[in-house]
Amino acid sequence: MKDVLALAKSHVVTALRERVTLFWFLVFPAFLLTILTLIFGQVGQEENVHFSITLINHDHAESSNLPFSATRVIEETLGSLSEARESGAQPLFTLIQPAPGSDGDAFLEQELVQIRRGNRAAVLVLPGGFDEAVLSGILDETDRSGATAKLYMSHTSVASETASSIIEQILAEIDRTILIQTGRFDETQAVAVVTDWIGQEEEETRYVDFVLPGIILMGFFTNGLFGVPGTILFNRDRKVLRRYWVTPLSVGRYLAGFGLGHLSLCVVQFALLFALGKYAFGATIQFTHPLSIIILVLAAITFMAFGFFIAALAKSANAGMAVANILNMPMMFLSGMFFPLVGLPIFMMVIVYANPVIYLLEALRQSVGVQTSTLMPFPWTFIVPLFWIALCSLVTIRRLRWDVAR
Amino acid sequence: MKAFRALLLTEIRNFTRDRMMLFFTLLFPLVFILLFGFLMGGMGDVEHATLGVYLESQDDEDTFMQTLERAGLRDIRPFDSLQSLEDNMADGQIDFGVVWNGAVLRFIYDPSRLQENYAFQQLANGIGAGFNMQRQDAVPAINVVRIEAGEIESISWFNLVLPGILAFTILSSGLFAISGHLTQMKQRNILDRLIVTPMSPVALLLAIALVRLVVGALSTLITLGVGILVFKLHFTIDWLRYGIFVICSTLGTMGLGTLIALIVRRPSSAGNVANAAAMIMMFMAGIYFPVSFMPAFMRTLSRLMPLTHMANVMRHVTGVLDMSDLRFWMTSAAFLGIALILFPLMARYIVRPLRN
Repeated sequence: MKDVLALAKSHVVTALRERVTLFWFLVFPAFLLTILTLIFGQVGQEENVHFSITLINHDHAESSNLPFSATRVIEETLGSLSEARESGAQPLFTLIQPAPGSDGDAFLEQELVQIRRGNRAAVLVLPGGFDEAVLSGILDETDRSGATAKLYMSHTSVASETASSIIEQILAEIDRTILIQTGRFDETQAVAVVTDWIGQEEEETRYVDFVLPGIILMGFFTNGLFGVPGTILFNRDRKVLRRYWVTPLSVGRYLAGFGLGHLSLCVVQFALLFALGKYAFGATIQFTHPLSIIILVLAAITFMAFGFFIAALAKSANAGMAVANILNMPMMFLSGMFFPLVGLPIFMMVIVYANPVIYLLEALRQSVGVQTSTLMPFPWTFIVPLFWIALCSLVTIRRLRWDVAR
Repeated sequence: MKAFRALLLTEIRNFTRDRMMLFFTLLFPLVFILLFGFLMGGMGDVEHATLGVYLESQDDEDTFMQTLERAGLRDIRPFDSLQSLEDNMADGQIDFGVVWNGAVLRFIYDPSRLQENYAFQQLANGIGAGFNMQRQDAVPAINVVRIEAGEIESISWFNLVLPGILAFTILSSGLFAISGHLTQMKQRNILDRLIVTPMSPVALLLAIALVRLVVGALSTLITLGVGILVFKLHFTIDWLRYGIFVICSTLGTMGLGTLIALIVRRPSSAGNVANAAAMIMMFMAGIYFPVSFMPAFMRTLSRLMPLTHMANVMRHVTGVLDMSDLRFWMTSAAFLGIALILFPLMARYIVRPLRN
């Protein structure tokens, strides 16, 4: 037992001393968790986003004599949203308007170029006669056309899409207020629009809660896929393993020590990533449920088995790393870790169904309560990874060479 | 010149014999394209969303269905029970659902589709507002019409991603080209033998750079071709600018790779450092995830990443993003400048044998 523990300790210490190992096992998953949470965790939260938009009002002169000016309301509303709510905070919009007396058409052309270059999110143009058209729409029962504002935007830009949606909502709200005040719309008769979530969810899952199980599994996955064949093959190529075999240490005991060390690394990895998620980003999920713990252990063993599988197939350490690199991308991205697996062609769905990562990920998400259903019935989330463990172990037993050829 | 020619021939032979390198340079980007092309084909496009509808009540059914038809959704599928609707949503067959019970309009989302739900909710808001207006036969006094300001109207999110992947390919191969190759030559003691000849260190770096430049350019063309043929993507490519930028950016990133060669000793370390740098830049440069939703400090960091500028220029030369001439030439010149400064400067420090 002492030799097994010594080997486990040596494996952990060696891994933690390697800067590369530290980067891929800890720094990179932590970086990914940070960046994904910072990007997607704030989608839709107005206080965290900022857009540069342009308002061109061609209706200044015409609207001055009218009793009500919708263009003025729009200008004031967009203007108020371009002022920070509190000092130091970022306003929703930076509002750009043409200088008084400037050529509106030339200014519009110039602003459209800015949209195409990604410097403006949207350009709202209120044409001449806009206020009159609004009033006509309100006062004249037969006029059902109303006024039309032109919203220039770019479908290629997510910022432009989002800013356009916000501007449309602002104008819809102004329109609704006008209609209510003029008796054209009865708010008491309006049906309520409510938001709900499938399953038992009462509210949308927080992004960090959703992404954290995936990042933890990604850490385990890279640990197994790169760490295991890396250690075995480099030690074999550099004849480090040969030195073990001249001692009374058996392959079985070496494997026990190596496995224990690998699982200890996974525990360290889990603890650090969980702490980052919880204390830096406010993750609320808990992995204390026995099922979560079982799945985490199963995941660590499955990915370790994959590592041995690669070590068994590769002739050298460099070849092993190449095989790991080839498997890494498809297995990780076809697991639903980062993108939903919707509308994939059949040949890709075959990979998805054979991929143990998706089963483990879905089971883990379900066990912590952020996913309601799984790709296959729940027993399969254990059957598929166990099948891979069996297959990888078989290949490893039959093919893995523990020493360089003499 | 004779020495350079000899070095160039050797490099060509070396490269074509290295099957692993050939695979990773020419074919690996294809794995990226195929993977992300299928994964991201429909992303960011709510007009292609599928809405599941369950009518608990027949009240205002016609008005409701007319509102849905006007919402511009690709597909509207009716369901005869809430359970069936939710099951289909859980399977990913339906993007979001709506239940109408005669009094309340209930929109249902899958909590695990966090990246898309915001867009679905925007669409649902529009449907809810439209339905309320139509029920009271009210006509909006203010309408908004969206007009595409870009030059290519029927563009998908993947049109933006693909030039980014091309930029990433150039970056990762450029960073590794010099650093990986030189460290390998050092490890195999090849450099020791070359250094005792009258060979100029810059000539060796140029020979490596030239071979990798041609292969890198070929790789971007194959990737672009697959994107166009397999995913039916449309690009308006300015071939002259494309060629100029591929050359400048490849040389520039190779120049940055000389800095890696300066600090690492083993080829595997060079690969790891290059990989780590490229991966961090990939996530920060808006290749797959929008930079516009990052916090202000991360947007600033993103602007400092070479890959951000490379991706934008690649989008420009493939016709999906406008850019001023000045910016294009400045960016290209900056990458070329990096190469012109770093190659001669670093050559004397990195083209030297490994000291044990």
